[in-house]
Amino acid sequence: MSEQELQVQENKNGGEVKQERILKIDFKMVTFSLAGKDYGIDIMNVKEIAKANRFTYVPNTAAFVRGVYNLRGEIIPVIDFRIFFHLPAEQKEEDAMENLLIIRKDEQIYGIIVDSIDKVVGVSSEQIQPPHPIFGDINIRYIKGVVEHQGRLYIILDVNRIFAQEEERKRTSIEAEGMPLYTPPVMEGASPARGENREGPNQAVPLEVNFIKETLFALKHFATTAINEKWVLARYEEWKKERQTSDAVQLKDLDDAEAFLKPFYSPYTDQFWGDDYAAAVRSLLPDMPGKTITVWNPGCGKGFETFSFACILRERYPEHRIKIWASDSDLLAISSAPTMAFEYEVFPEYCRPFLVKGKYGYGFNQVIKDAILFEYHDIRNNNPYVDLDIIVARDILSFMSPEEQSKILSDFDEKLKASGLLLIGSHEELPAEEWQFIGKAPVALYSKAK
Amino acid sequence: MRVEYINPFVEAAFNVLKEVLQADIRRGELYLKSTTMPVLGVAALVGLAGDVEGRVMFDMSKTTALAVASAMNGEQLSNFDELVKATITELANMITAQAVTKLHDLGFRFDLTPPALFTGDNMEVSDHEVEALIVPMETPQGKIEINVAIRERV
Repeated sequence: MSEQELQVQENKNGGEVKQERILKIDFKMVTFSLAGKDYGIDIMNVKEIAKANRFTYVPNTAAFVRGVYNLRGEIIPVIDFRIFFHLPAEQKEEDAMENLLIIRKDEQIYGIIVDSIDKVVGVSSEQIQPPHPIFGDINIRYIKGVVEHQGRLYIILDVNRIFAQEEERKRTSIEAEGMPLYTPPVMEGASPARGENREGPNQAVPLEVNFIKETLFALKHFATTAINEKWVLARYEEWKKERQTSDAVQLKDLDDAEAFLKPFYSPYTDQFWGDDYAAAVRSLLPDMPGKTITVWNPGCGKGFETFSFACILRERYPEHRIKIWASDSDLLAISSAPTMAFEYEVFPEYCRPFLVKGKYGYGFNQVIKDAILFEYHDIRNNNPYVDLDIIVARDILSFMSPEEQSKILSDFDEKLKASGLLLIGSHEELPAEEWQFIGKAPVALYSKAK
Repeated sequence: MRVEYINPFVEAAFNVLKEVLQADIRRGELYLKSTTMPVLGVAALVGLAGDVEGRVMFDMSKTTALAVASAMNGEQLSNFDELVKATITELANMITAQAVTKLHDLGFRFDLTPPALFTGDNMEVSDHEVEALIVPMETPQGKIEINVAIRERV
């Protein structure tokens, strides 16, 4: 079965040539509607459709879990997608039949309540477009793509992401923050609204923040965790004031996300550290035992940070041998680091004693250059660095996924000596159980907790 | 892997392949890998020592290996015999030697070991201790992946 599309094309001579383009139908989906919009789910995930009404309520579950249902002997959990996605739900009477989509994921079967189920639509997978952040009402992560068919726009949901084990736990905590748990209707008298926001407009706030957090991760790979949550929430309050109307609060595109994150970056990101910041760092550095100071600087970018720190160390510890491993996964940025050269004025005061004049301007002398090894390296992979005295990782952790963050942090802990120091971003913070803050804003310096 | 090491390997691969295959060579995007990777079918491995420790691997499918060996020997080869294996091993040697020479000019001392050739189906290579840099090279005979996994000798 194939769908033929006639395309009329003008050839070079201005005549018309009819071309037929045959599109292969290789993706079929079951379409349904939620709050007036059309959605689709890959038919391979759909087991059947049903109408049902009596769900057995299960206490202490998230608001979107309506309960369980007996499907010909098999007990399946029933989830109300409208509540799951915070969409307005049509209030039905207690016993009214709900439209159920029976989904199979791995070995587990779920029932999903939707407004109405439409039909099976077949499209060519070439026509499916990736989702756009502007779909603010449903978390972009759950959307596989969008496709147009016969004049209607269908949003294709990714069942695997929606029902992934982790997501469920995360969602439950999101629900716990703002919305009340679903309670079954009382037998006598009027039944209370199902899953409706009890406390009104205040509930919108934690939900809005969560959408912003999700968008930051989707667009800038900035994950909000304990490391930067304080800053994100404070910034959110500021951001709201800047963007008066509630429509404009959400981050619609990359520019919005970048504008939101702009104040996050540590001072002198992507440039030489200014004399003030460098002096602050220098004053916080304790005396070091031994004869060598080994440093790791992941995410060094073009190398400004590395050279700044090298100059500070060289001056602060004149008797020690300095060895700095600087790494970044951006090959283009790090390639130019070893041989950087500028006009004399570009360099801050504390760097100037270490400069030599070269063909293309002033660069660092051999003493400083020999102290640094620039490596093309992805921090998520293994590396051979051990027994480090100092790690300089400003604004790196925040741009890793939450699992990567904890893995990298425990890696830092392992690789640092007992007396080791860790310098992170000015707006990042570490858990007090493992790390002791010995810095002073904006220098976020930590040592291992005793 | 130090940034200074990357260019010599990329350039050596490009120059040698261009010369022996007498054709247009295209370099793909470089990337880093740390997990088990499937081998395309034929892998030539050259050990590296000196300022660094590790190895460089030249990975390609059997068909590509046959085509490359045919081009290098000037005759159409269809059996994966000793001649083909010797040719691929020689290619690996040439590229690595040229890279090491370039690195020597930059001040780095690398030693090579004689190459070893692996052939088989469903083979995998794992480098859990060392991160690998992959340089994909597109040739008319097929894709050849240069896989460098080295780390500084501390």
